Amino acid sequence: MKKLDKRLIRTIGHSKGQFISLVVVVIVALIVYVSFSMIAEQMYNSIFQYYRETNFAHIFVDVSRIPGNSVDELLEIEGVDQVQGRIIFDVPLRVEDPNEKVNARIISDPGTEDQINSLFILEGEGPSPGTRTTAVLKQFFVGRDMKFGDTIRPYIGGTEYSLQVVGEVGSPEYIYLMENEQTLLPDEKGFGVIYVPEEFAQSAFGFQGSYNNIVVTVDEGHENRVDIIADEIEDRLDRFGVRSVITRENHMSHSVMIQEVDSLEMMSTSITIMFLFVAAVIISIMLSRIVRKDRIAIGVLKGLGYDNKQILMHYVKYSLAIGLVGSILGVLLSIPVADMLSGVYIQYMNIPLFTGAFDIRYLFYGTLLTSVFCIASGVFGARSVLKITPADAMRPETPKAGSRMWIEGFKALWQRLTFSWKMVLRNISRTKRRAFFLILGIALTYAVTMLPVFMSTIWNTLFDRQYSQLQKMDYSIDFNIPVERNALLELQQLTDIEFIEPKVELPFELVEGWRKETINVIGVQRDTIMYGFRTASGRQIELPSKGIVLTDILARQLQVQAGDTIQINSVLPGKSDKTIQVKAVVEQYFGKNAYMDIEQMYDILEERDIATGALLMTEADVVPDLKDVKNIRGINSVQDMRDAIMEYMDLIIASMGSMMIFGGVIGFAIVYNITIVSISERMMEFSSLRVLGFDKKDIFRLVTRENALMTVFGIILGVPLGYSICVGLVDYVSTDMYTIPAVIEPFVYVYSAAATLVFVFVAQLATYRKITNLNFIDALKNRIS
Amino acid sequence: MSENILLKAENLSKIYQMGEVTVAAVKNVDIEIVKGEFAVILGPSGSGKSTLLNILGGMDQPSEGNVMMNGESIIGFNDKKLTAYRRDKVGFVFQFYNLMGTLTARENVELATELCKDALDIDEVLETVGLGDRKDHFPSQMSGGEQQRVAIARAVAKNADLLLCDEPTGALDFETGIKILALLRDINKKYKKTVVIITHNVPIGDMADRVIKMRSGEIIEIKENENPIDPERIVW
Repeated sequence: MKKLDKRLIRTIGHSKGQFISLVVVVIVALIVYVSFSMIAEQMYNSIFQYYRETNFAHIFVDVSRIPGNSVDELLEIEGVDQVQGRIIFDVPLRVEDPNEKVNARIISDPGTEDQINSLFILEGEGPSPGTRTTAVLKQFFVGRDMKFGDTIRPYIGGTEYSLQVVGEVGSPEYIYLMENEQTLLPDEKGFGVIYVPEEFAQSAFGFQGSYNNIVVTVDEGHENRVDIIADEIEDRLDRFGVRSVITRENHMSHSVMIQEVDSLEMMSTSITIMFLFVAAVIISIMLSRIVRKDRIAIGVLKGLGYDNKQILMHYVKYSLAIGLVGSILGVLLSIPVADMLSGVYIQYMNIPLFTGAFDIRYLFYGTLLTSVFCIASGVFGARSVLKITPADAMRPETPKAGSRMWIEGFKALWQRLTFSWKMVLRNISRTKRRAFFLILGIALTYAVTMLPVFMSTIWNTLFDRQYSQLQKMDYSIDFNIPVERNALLELQQLTDIEFIEPKVELPFELVEGWRKETINVIGVQRDTIMYGFRTASGRQIELPSKGIVLTDILARQLQVQAGDTIQINSVLPGKSDKTIQVKAVVEQYFGKNAYMDIEQMYDILEERDIATGALLMTEADVVPDLKDVKNIRGINSVQDMRDAIMEYMDLIIASMGSMMIFGGVIGFAIVYNITIVSISERMMEFSSLRVLGFDKKDIFRLVTRENALMTVFGIILGVPLGYSICVGLVDYVSTDMYTIPAVIEPFVYVYSAAATLVFVFVAQLATYRKITNLNFIDALKNRIS
Repeated sequence: MSENILLKAENLSKIYQMGEVTVAAVKNVDIEIVKGEFAVILGPSGSGKSTLLNILGGMDQPSEGNVMMNGESIIGFNDKKLTAYRRDKVGFVFQFYNLMGTLTARENVELATELCKDALDIDEVLETVGLGDRKDHFPSQMSGGEQQRVAIARAVAKNADLLLCDEPTGALDFETGIKILALLRDINKKYKKTVVIITHNVPIGDMADRVIKMRSGEIIEIKENENPIDPERIVW
């Protein structure tokens, strides 16, 4: 081995702490890069491969009822490739435990070859025409622990049917399974999808020869015209009561998946860059310090006949070693991490073609990426090697120019400071750039730590806002068909209800210029106690007697604000379009809706005293009493939603925990390394202080005071930085389906500060050993290392 | 005579600009170093001897003048050629030894010989400098004299023609200093290396073949020594 390389290895051996802490930063960068990017790419590819194999629809249309031949007429539209009618209904499922509420979405399967959204048979077979069989979506099949031959019992229109489970399937439509936009998270036990033969669905739901859902695929050359085609379909189907026309882009499962891939990529890029950047800055600071310290050694090497390139490489190899060791360990560790991550995706998302196998290319990419970063930072840090001439290197370095600081101008203040504090301040002002980096590093640690602390509070805030402030009911019940308002009285007799209010929830198309959205408009009593509407500024408002109230996501999409007039079109056939004034925009975090006075709804519908559902306040569990009531389609319980979220708490805590560790790694690496650099740079100074009578603890106190001061500044800077990152993240993850309130509770700042202090303290403690082990006499003697 | 000249400097000057003040460290120096001789450049602190040594060794460039090694001018050498010159033609010994603290004695010597084609046998050189049994020790485990021996071994093992020693005894006690001087004399004789020592220590001049005295950047006297004395007889 070359002697210079041997020297390098021993230098690394003497600065193990620094080396290891930097390697850890690189490892984290690489684990995140390799596992996140790899899974994002594989997921993206397998999703689209899955779409191709199963002929995933481009457009999804919900209508009240449409005859089969009218479905086929859609083929006349230019660009439409295939169309297919389906019957889709959500129904309750009878299960053993009478208290358990299980809903199933029944989807008709035509049983033909070459269908749209064809089932991906994982095991068993599809539902056979002419039988009472069903194929069950994998998540539900697994979630309810089903076996082939089991019987499941949907409750349709007052009749209980028995269907035999014959297959476990995947569907591109339900890669990510959500009951509706408001549930947000999958609940594989409580909601699933089952596929039944078409003629069974038609007879059970009374849809002979007709459908209530259409899926459409678009010709290859017309994929960029999907929106236009969707509009045309909507126009053509007007008389069949279009409830919604959704393109693939806005499809729930698809958009969740794409967002997941996007956020994986975003995390992969931002975390990797952040960590590599931190590593690069520390490396370059450290190397520039080593080069300065090695000035004479560099002179000697040049005197011996080593050229600039060889000497520069000697130092760059230090950073390259960090990069390579970090890469190797990072890649090795990313294998189990990627495995774990893909395991989570496989568990919650049903992409049969996604295997999560390790992709060797990323090993190469990762190593290349870190090597480039490390070499660049190494060259940058050690570049002053080139400027050192051998003769200059032999002369003592000119002392750093000392000058007064601005703070010394405040004589009264300056004179009050102790000698140690004066030294602390002088030293900070002497190494401004490094001090700035340290402050920035601590600010970054604070911000990175704040993110998980903030995110762990999101669910609480969300629930509080959505369910305690906005939706105050305990249950929301939907009927199969609109019923007389008086029917609510019957419900009251069936179970223990404290308060009950009717609601009319119907789909409408809201139009403003060329922008339009089909959403559920909910009519409730003006004096409702079930809803507490608030504007973005937190002001509580009541429902107006005339006009409509939009939720903020919807208002944003339509680009309207309070005072604007919009068009409201009923999707039911034969109803005329009307205009209505937007009276207010209110906050709603899950889903997008519009609200109006139920009386006005009756005016629009030209019908009186009906209800499509009821809102309940009660302490009791009403599910067992109400689930068999005829005409009740669904009972949504706020508590159930809370419980569903709680099931994900472990996952959330795990991912928050890893974010926390990221913050800790960054904080430790920065504080530890900068302190070590600072200590080694000031050996002479410390030695002189020792001679003057300072003991080791005094010196440690000096260094600690410096870092404490930086930490205070770092945290102060970290507050706005962390705030921006949290708000940025909230903005980024908010979709058409939900927004997250950017409400950061004061304790989030306090906890983050406490965590940052712990990280800094640990790093500081790790440097204590360095100070106590410093041989000050040697320091005064040694000229070269 | 001219084929005996190893190194020749003509009209050499080195001027430093320090703010508005111009300092001439070396002024119009002419000097010849003869092959195989043991020369001592004597002068007080600030006389320009270190600057002269650095220029002769290719460590620094003069402001004016010429330096020729074996008849070839090294002035105007680019960085690469100058590096090759230092590597192949010159061996340096410094006042403070300047060993790499993380390398053993042997490795410190190897650090230099790795670069050279005709390097001498390291173990033999270490034996010659009296460190046969200390070669696996690190500098921190050695005395100043031992460290300087390693530095000499490092310079010698390269098998360069010229050994330039900058105050080689400056950091050593009297007895160790004498031993180092004796070692340099032995090297001069055994390996037929040209040795140039710079020092402010006047008695050391008594062991030289030639003494070149400097003051204020100029050579004030060159004296041939008919009967150089043994280093052991030097007293200061």
